Amino acid sequence: MAKLLLYLTLATSLIPLFSVAFSPENPTDRRVLVLVDDFAIKSSHSLYFGSLTSRGFQLEFKLADDPNIGLQRYGQYLYDALVLFCPSVERFGGSIDVASIVDFVDSGHDLIVAADSNASDLIREVATECGVDFDEDPAAMVIDHINYAVSNFDGDHTLIASDDFIKADVILGSKKIEAPVLFQGIGHSLNPANSLVLKVLSASSSAYSANPKSKLSNPPSLTGSAISLVSVVQARNNARILITGSLSMFSNRSGVQKAGSSIKHEKSGNEQFLTEISKWVFHERGHLKAVNVRHHKVGESDEPAIYRINDDLEYSVEIYEWSGTSWEPYVSDDVQVQFYMMSPYVLKTLSTDQKGHYSAEFKVPDVYGVFQFKVEYQRLGYTSLSLSKQIPVRPYRHNEYERFLPAAYPYYGSAFSMMAGFFIFTIVHLYSK
Amino acid sequence: MARSTGKDAQALFHSLRSAYAATPTTLKIIDLYVGFAVFTALIQVVYMAIVGSFPFNSFLSGVLSCVGTAVLAVCLRIQVNKDNKEFKDLPPERAFADFVLCNLVLHLVIMNFLG
Repeated sequence: MAKLLLYLTLATSLIPLFSVAFSPENPTDRRVLVLVDDFAIKSSHSLYFGSLTSRGFQLEFKLADDPNIGLQRYGQYLYDALVLFCPSVERFGGSIDVASIVDFVDSGHDLIVAADSNASDLIREVATECGVDFDEDPAAMVIDHINYAVSNFDGDHTLIASDDFIKADVILGSKKIEAPVLFQGIGHSLNPANSLVLKVLSASSSAYSANPKSKLSNPPSLTGSAISLVSVVQARNNARILITGSLSMFSNRSGVQKAGSSIKHEKSGNEQFLTEISKWVFHERGHLKAVNVRHHKVGESDEPAIYRINDDLEYSVEIYEWSGTSWEPYVSDDVQVQFYMMSPYVLKTLSTDQKGHYSAEFKVPDVYGVFQFKVEYQRLGYTSLSLSKQIPVRPYRHNEYERFLPAAYPYYGSAFSMMAGFFIFTIVHLYSK
Repeated sequence: MARSTGKDAQALFHSLRSAYAATPTTLKIIDLYVGFAVFTALIQVVYMAIVGSFPFNSFLSGVLSCVGTAVLAVCLRIQVNKDNKEFKDLPPERAFADFVLCNLVLHLVIMNFLG
């Protein structure tokens, strides 16, 4: 009986290993933990969650202060991505706190954070750790008296219709988003020195961030297109974070009409915008991998351990992009390889055969030492590729120099004439009286 | 004044010529050999000045062969000259043997460095 129990526990503990999860071979996240303030969000945001589950994600909904939640157990992460739809949470339950969320992102997992007009300090702190600063005034919302959404009741212009998207097909998809996106919440600003954050949806130049219920006593600190409504961060370990100040942006919406324009859209751009950007955040698009780095002398096929100066060599690499279901060849004309020793001696653009194979031929420079083949590829919205392979380069051997140069014929002639002269002189000297 | 210095120079030149005519033929042959070596060296230097010093090792090798030959020939002339008190007891065959051996080493080095 005890043995049966033992075998049973062993068998059940092995089951998690068989589940399909986040791995380098399949980079799309699968298991997503969604933390909410109350479960009514499940129905008010059902369209967004439905689009996620239809693409194969396993969502797990928990209350933000549920004492049983945890991101990892026994050192292994239970989820591949985290969605924080709990703007008013004061303290997370279980073992989650700001430090564990930061560790979660540092280990390469993705994060979506949605704040709202009642955002707590905890959510603001999470956003600051990610590089985004929400407006410090807790009662401020983004107001725009020119680009607000027309609605049936006389609003205070906090529901704005924005179409100031970033121009990046890899983040927002190749199909243009026709209808503006509805937004109602707080705005944030980005540090211009931070090169990892991007403004995906920015407010128009007539927007400002202030308390809608009170009169303005001093000019608002955040104005114009410095206000970002939706931002993304791609960390150096390729973890992706989406931060926005409006939870209601994700909710089920109907049509929109921008004030000042006569076009009345049946459907707002929210659904298309959020679907496309979620695809990017969860690594269904824009995720590159580089495999099969090879280099060899032109004409040979095996990889030498050392090159000589002034050798002709060929370098090749294969780059693939994850399409959500499979690895497709990545086609681009701006991947470059460097032959680097303290500074690049050779910088060459790799040519592609359109099937993901990139190659370039160049001549080893006239300098010997230990070089590296370096490919540093960082493009907006794509994961960064940083490949480096070390290879030594030796100078000429004693018998590899050029011989019988036409320019040196006079010197050869003089050396031989000296030898001939010496020979003739010895004869004359010996046999003259 | 200029005329007398001109006459002195001419007189000097004439006395040099007549003194030189009195040297033994052997030494004159060695002098000719040295002149040939120096002349070849000069040709190479002029060539390098025109064309540039690309195979510098070849240039050095060529010039050194000429200069080395000239130096060894001058040493032979010193040792063989009967008027030279210092080498009175040195048999001229010994001097010649030294000359031949040194030239062999010189040409070995030149061939190695010629590239």
